[in-house]
Amino acid sequence: MPPLSRRQHMGSMSARYVRCIQLRAAFGLTATPSRAAHTPIRWYATTGGYTDRQDNNEISNIRLAVKDNIAAKGFQTTCASNILAGTEIPFAATIVTQLRNHGMEVVGKAGMDEFGMGTHSTTSAFESVHNAHPLEKYSAGGSSGGSAVAVKEGRADIALGTDTGGSVRMPAAYTGTVGFKPSYGMLSRWGVVPYANSLDTVGFLARTVQPIREVIIGSNLYKEHDSRDPTSLPDTVRSRCTIEREGYTSSGQRLETLEGLTFGLPLEYNIEELDSRIRQGWLQALNAIQTLGGRVVPVSLPSTRNALSAYYVIAPAEAASNLAKYDGIRYGKRDTNGTSDAQDGVLYARTRGSGFGNEVKRRILLGSYTLSSEAIDNYFIQAQKVRQLVRRDFDRIFKLDNPLLDEQHFDLSEMEESIGIETKLGPAQVDFLVCPTAPTTPPLLEHVRNQTPLDLYMNDVFTVPASLAGLPAISIPMDLSIDPASEEQKLLHFGGLQLIGQYWDDARILSVAERLSGHVAKASAGKL
Amino acid sequence: MPHVRPATLSRYLLQGQLISRGCLQTRPRVQASSITTPHVQLAQYLHTETSESPSNGRASVGVPFRKQLKDEAKKQKALGKKKKKKNVNNQVVDGWELTVGIEIHAQLNTAKKLFSGATTSFNDSPNTHVAYFDLATPGSQPLFQKETLLPALRAALALNCEVQPISRFDRKHYFHWDQPSGYQITQYYEPFARDGRIQLQSRDGIAAEDGESVSIGIKQIQMEQDTAKTLAQPGDVHWIDFNRVGMPLIEIITHPEIHYPATAAAFVRKVQNLLNAVDACVSGMEAGGLRADVNVSVRRTDDPSNPLGQRTEIKNLSSFKAVEDAIIAERDRQIAVLEAGGVIAGETRGWSIGSTETRHLRGKEGEVDYRYMPDPDIAPLLIAPDLVTHLRDTMGELPDDVVDALIRDFGLSSKDAMSLVSLDGGMRVEYFWNVVARLQSQLGANAPQEHKPCFQLAANWILHEFGRLTAERSDESALDLGFSQEGECIRVPAQHLADLIHHLYNRRITAKVAKELLWAIFRGRVPGEYHTVLDAIEKEGLWFEELSSDEYAALADDAVRGQEDILRQFLDAKVFPQGKLMFLVGRMVRLGQEERIDPKNAEAVMRDRIQSVYVPALKD
Repeated sequence: MPPLSRRQHMGSMSARYVRCIQLRAAFGLTATPSRAAHTPIRWYATTGGYTDRQDNNEISNIRLAVKDNIAAKGFQTTCASNILAGTEIPFAATIVTQLRNHGMEVVGKAGMDEFGMGTHSTTSAFESVHNAHPLEKYSAGGSSGGSAVAVKEGRADIALGTDTGGSVRMPAAYTGTVGFKPSYGMLSRWGVVPYANSLDTVGFLARTVQPIREVIIGSNLYKEHDSRDPTSLPDTVRSRCTIEREGYTSSGQRLETLEGLTFGLPLEYNIEELDSRIRQGWLQALNAIQTLGGRVVPVSLPSTRNALSAYYVIAPAEAASNLAKYDGIRYGKRDTNGTSDAQDGVLYARTRGSGFGNEVKRRILLGSYTLSSEAIDNYFIQAQKVRQLVRRDFDRIFKLDNPLLDEQHFDLSEMEESIGIETKLGPAQVDFLVCPTAPTTPPLLEHVRNQTPLDLYMNDVFTVPASLAGLPAISIPMDLSIDPASEEQKLLHFGGLQLIGQYWDDARILSVAERLSGHVAKASAGKL
Repeated sequence: MPHVRPATLSRYLLQGQLISRGCLQTRPRVQASSITTPHVQLAQYLHTETSESPSNGRASVGVPFRKQLKDEAKKQKALGKKKKKKNVNNQVVDGWELTVGIEIHAQLNTAKKLFSGATTSFNDSPNTHVAYFDLATPGSQPLFQKETLLPALRAALALNCEVQPISRFDRKHYFHWDQPSGYQITQYYEPFARDGRIQLQSRDGIAAEDGESVSIGIKQIQMEQDTAKTLAQPGDVHWIDFNRVGMPLIEIITHPEIHYPATAAAFVRKVQNLLNAVDACVSGMEAGGLRADVNVSVRRTDDPSNPLGQRTEIKNLSSFKAVEDAIIAERDRQIAVLEAGGVIAGETRGWSIGSTETRHLRGKEGEVDYRYMPDPDIAPLLIAPDLVTHLRDTMGELPDDVVDALIRDFGLSSKDAMSLVSLDGGMRVEYFWNVVARLQSQLGANAPQEHKPCFQLAANWILHEFGRLTAERSDESALDLGFSQEGECIRVPAQHLADLIHHLYNRRITAKVAKELLWAIFRGRVPGEYHTVLDAIEKEGLWFEELSSDEYAALADDAVRGQEDILRQFLDAKVFPQGKLMFLVGRMVRLGQEERIDPKNAEAVMRDRIQSVYVPALKD
């Protein structure tokens, strides 16, 4: 692939933003999500029983689906890639061990995009995942699509996914489930095959918020440091962060009101490509927040427009590096066709050539280019700077300080003019940001196949900023308006609503999301 | 580069004297013979192209090397090559200036690997010390082992570097089977130490052209991972031993400030000695624990404003001599190319032991773009100043200070002082201090001032007589002397040597008896059969009871009887016939009781008797 020119690459990926928001009356519609018997998760024969399972815990008999890039003893871990076909990682991921200790039972590995690279779970080397009945023709989102469909179809009570740029939240939005990406460093990544280490987080999918909040906050998973993961927050930092936050101690209680909470409506997220029904659903959700006593203010995150470009420089760069280890020598599949190419070449060019799929190769090439000595300054280094700006935007918007940084000062004169000033102290500060998870309802798989990679990358525009900043974010289902004349709209009656919070504000995000769920999606309300 | 056996390397070394302490436990004992094998012969052999192998080459260990030398000699003969110019006379080419920068990779002396809890090892069974991360198992992560920082910091301090409060780890990408993750973790953008400097003196073996001393700047030191070891098998088969992968290395990078080949070799040797002295490294070049890459360029000296010439890099030099030889060869090649009107290409070249030319490995077009990227899993390394201060305060004396002290306090020659300090990784000089302390307790507090020759005698014996124990007439298998870190010697305990030296110094025993006693100690007869040295002397009646003047005179009379022809030569000689005198002294020793004769006194008596008695008698 010839390297993209800077204009091509950076330019065409920023969305066209629409400035004005028209508040329109929201109108809701509900439909009962169906539970079809179709099975998109892949089941592997287990090689051993779960003798180490502890059933004496308060949570028990909970069925857990595990994304296929997370190691679980007794299961293969292929990352949906040919190059790891048949591979069993000889140790269990910390998160899987932790959940088993909490009484969960691994019932299967869930399909995904190859190495987590994709938005629709269609890049798997083995089979592509599709949405749950009656949406079989539609995308389940990616890359944790298999995990989302597993919980949607009732095959699992809770599912593990990984979220690098939205890989848990996108499938949640497309399947009408809940997807939570915790703060970076909260859950251990030991045993999770990395895509882009600085962005990767383990995430959860479930039909409602409650089981996710129960496992992370209720069973104190957030407290558990893992000494094998160098990016797992140390105990001292965990307790310091926790002391500065609310919601961790009163974990058993549900939030009854949103009074006193401010929700930010990020103006930059109102892009031209935003589906009008999604926009309506978003406004409807904001109305619901106000009804529950919450305050809604428009806010500005100027760096958002560059976030997607930065993400698609950083993630492929780290991916190109991480995937250099797959050579078919120590594990995985080796292509032994023809003679050895060691002479005057690379021993495993053939293995890598046939072992990786097209999207993976595309990102390896992209990453190799942006790290090359001629391009690193213009791409990788710039992208890292953008990443800091994105984080700074968030830190400025949130009422809470970022506990990982020293106190920051934001000079008004340094702020972009677009940022509205609320008081003489500056712009409004908020507890959470509220925005759509995906710009559209799930697309037809048929359309997905015809899309260019750039079109596909565009889908991540709302999920990538929180990943770049390492912030907790959740996607919950929200009802969309339906034109009774449209059969498709009757099928696609939901979208994903995303809440983003300050670092380590996971406990509050989960309780607010739980409180809000029944009010933005009537279907969910019925089940609670 | 193929792995060269440590034994081969150590024999090839310039003097072959530097032995690391780490080898004591791990090397097969028989290799110790190379410590004292007379390398002069080997060196001569290298230059004179005789086809006979050196007679002292010992069984099995010696064979590959002999074979190598033979092959080399054959090759050179076939080429009709002229006699090679000696390096010492080949430091400068008129009209040209040489510039050299050096990168040294040294294995740190640590118990664990750099980013995993696997233990470090040297000759253990292959693939027995490997953690998941070492194999780049998917889902495994690096865990920086803090302890590895300590030897790295000691090295940085010994090389006078500034330790950086913040440094970071980066990934250097390239594909090779010895690098399982597809990248090496190193410190490219922000190394942990910068701006060092070491002073080389003439006694360190720098080129004469550098004068008394020269200072070499060190740009930076970085920590990084070692690669796996490749074990080549017959055919196109390679076995990989992952024990070595991920072991911690430091890379020391100099500024291009070296202008003579001998100085470059002296620099590498000095760095090895310093690293050894501060216990930063496990083993030296001879054991493969230290490797050097050199960057070489030349420029004409006619215009000082000329920029540095295009440089080439010679990779993986594994001995001090190879450093010097390769630089000379590469310098000469570059000059020849330029003088023929050619252009030097920026390239990487290789060097094999014993060759005369560097060889092309890869050119610019074959260069790898390493795509350096900060490792996203590894936190920045924060080094607190109090740790650096503590290490600096507890580092102990550096070899240069010890050498200075030996020269100043005991009047040792700088060569002897250097040898004492560098032998056995510093353990031999510790032994010397031990012997000194025991002598001092026998001679009194003022001994260093009043009895300087006694300590010189001790140094002389520890260096030279000890050498004979393991080399000369070793009827039993030559064994290690068994020096320990504490300055003790298993085969010759310090107390026994001190007793022996004390008696010798006081002329209570002769040198000949002392040597016999040393062998007795070495073979364990002291304390096996005799409790102490004193015990052995008394039981065997070895005290030196010198002849009286009368007895000497009588013995001289006996010796000249019938030697009138010889005596006559003293009568006519224009130059005093010293040889004849010694012949007569020899007769005295043979005729008399040898153990009661001091040859010097015998000579004095004979000289006196010739002049005052025998010659006047002939005149009559």
